[in-house]
Amino acid sequence: MQILLVEDDLSLAEGLQQALEHEGFVVNHVTHGKGAIHVVETEPPDILILDLGLPDIDGLDVLANLRKSRNETQIMLLTARDSLQDKVSGLDQGADDYLAKPFEMSELLARLRVLERRISTSISNTITIQNISLDTNSLNVSINDQAIDLSRREYMLLKVLMQNAGRIMTRDRLESQLYNWGDEVSSNAVEVHIHHLRKKLPPEFIKTVRGVGYKVDSQKSS
Amino acid sequence: MKSIRTFLTVVILATITLMVFLSELQGFRLNLAAAEKLFDKQLADTAHLLSATYSPVTDNNPQITETEFFGFQIWIDDQLKLRSSRMPDELIANLEQGYQEHNFGKHRWRTYSYFDELKNVWILTAQRTDVRYTLAENIVIKSILPALIILPLGGLLIWTIVGYGVSPLQRLSDQLRRKQADDFSPLPIEKQPVELTQVVKSTNDLLSRLKASFQREKHFSADAAHELRTPISVLKVHLHNLNKKFPADDRNFQQVVTATERMGHLIEQILLLNRTSPDQFITKFISIDLYKLAQEVIAREYPQFEKKDLKIELNGEHCLIEGDQFALETMLKNLLENACKYTPDDGNILVSVKAEMQADENASQKVVKLEIQDSGPGVPEDQYGRLFDRFYRLDGDRHASGTTGSGLGLAIVRHIADLHKATIKLTKSSFDSGLSVTVIFPFYHANPLQVKKHHV
Repeated sequence: MQILLVEDDLSLAEGLQQALEHEGFVVNHVTHGKGAIHVVETEPPDILILDLGLPDIDGLDVLANLRKSRNETQIMLLTARDSLQDKVSGLDQGADDYLAKPFEMSELLARLRVLERRISTSISNTITIQNISLDTNSLNVSINDQAIDLSRREYMLLKVLMQNAGRIMTRDRLESQLYNWGDEVSSNAVEVHIHHLRKKLPPEFIKTVRGVGYKVDSQKSS
Repeated sequence: MKSIRTFLTVVILATITLMVFLSELQGFRLNLAAAEKLFDKQLADTAHLLSATYSPVTDNNPQITETEFFGFQIWIDDQLKLRSSRMPDELIANLEQGYQEHNFGKHRWRTYSYFDELKNVWILTAQRTDVRYTLAENIVIKSILPALIILPLGGLLIWTIVGYGVSPLQRLSDQLRRKQADDFSPLPIEKQPVELTQVVKSTNDLLSRLKASFQREKHFSADAAHELRTPISVLKVHLHNLNKKFPADDRNFQQVVTATERMGHLIEQILLLNRTSPDQFITKFISIDLYKLAQEVIAREYPQFEKKDLKIELNGEHCLIEGDQFALETMLKNLLENACKYTPDDGNILVSVKAEMQADENASQKVVKLEIQDSGPGVPEDQYGRLFDRFYRLDGDRHASGTTGSGLGLAIVRHIADLHKATIKLTKSSFDSGLSVTVIFPFYHANPLQVKKHHV
């Protein structure tokens, strides 16, 4: 997995590079926005970690520039600006994730894993967590290569949870993923589907945080 | 001075009244003098008429109409020849030519003595002075009366005119009052009267300077954030990398890790406190579902609960309040962090959001309550008040797992509560031990922006 790190603080860049390489990423580093655009265009990395405060052009401009040319690189913003406005405009302009400084290394790694999973899903169409695989192409789910039968909504729920493994998905967010605005949703629809899913999956695969939401542990933390 | 308009009206009316009074007084005097002259002439004329018609030989009665206010005597050589019926027999005036004043018959009289040399006769005429004054006064009052009637009318007119005159001031004060806290746009200067132009100019000047300093302040926060956050990130990343080189129980290394975390936390909280203090914080309030927000924040902060195997639960219902999302997220985050910090491993945290009727002494009103309970050691009741002071830490903050607090978390919570007109209540939690923090928000009454779900 190739990462291009765009960060003007050399000490931070060096530390990050070291940490990410230790995790098995291939990391290249540039300090300027224009350099970043050039590298992404000629030799696109899988993931771009982009600082917003750069010496030549603003990170958001780099972002806009790349998205205009329909570049598919996953982009993670890493910045000291943390106002809601900054977050919204960053995500609006096509960033895939956003992490504010100072960050915990473990959180950065967890989020990179989500991006990584997204990339590998789009290539192999398969997400595998523990002994469960979900194929987004054939819509098949299997436990230890034994296919199991899921309803459409159960499949969609599981897919969202597995794609975001390691993070809690709130009930409201899951509901909005499962249903259109026009749909009539009973208040416990998500609970009912989770209940059915649990019967078909190993116990404890989907964890509940009461009143908040559900979560599937990612491989690393389990 | 309460109102320029009232002040001007009263002062102008008082001045006009005084001037009218003074001029009337002067007129009264002149009129009185003129009346006196008239009456004196009347006295003299009557005396002359008497002398012309009276003949000492025939001793005839002259044709003079007698009243109780007027009388005469005719004397020849110390002998009273003739008198009007109400006149006494004694001399009513000295036998000297001209006007005099005398008292007789219980009244004061104005007299006129006239000596007819041809007939050797003294004619004395008299008129009661009080009658003269009454008559004179009547004349004067009739000329003053219209002025008195006109005064209230004048007052009304002055009130209206002054009101019209000060209306630009009123307009200016309305414009200033309607300005939003973050509206630094200049006031229009074209339609202002000359007297206010300078005021408006100075105000605009002040506004633009305020805007500039406000933006500087805002930029400073952002710049400081960036400047401080990057080095902290550098420290954290390098410590993360060093982690593998030190044994897990290396105390020196762990101290550096803890201190770095503490510093990072402190910087964040100082920046937050700066950003959320009322004079810095410009809010664009929107309606926010507090329950949903709590869900999101708990989901985001879940890793820290998981790390300590805390059981966290959210219950309640969707409730709308009016607020600023960033501020409310910060509040929830700080309260959750606090609960997490002071609750020992395997403990419980219970969050609830619900709308309730709260009875006041005079009325009951709907409120939204956010309650966060933990199963930590709790806080002695006598310390509740100080808990929200800046940099105050309970017993030096020696709770749980060597917790490092900035002492700013709850100060920020209180700031944010203030901004939302919310109150904070501390009680014992419903667990065996622990603290319960309840933030009580006013209910948002506008129509909830709920998406209607269509029946198919």
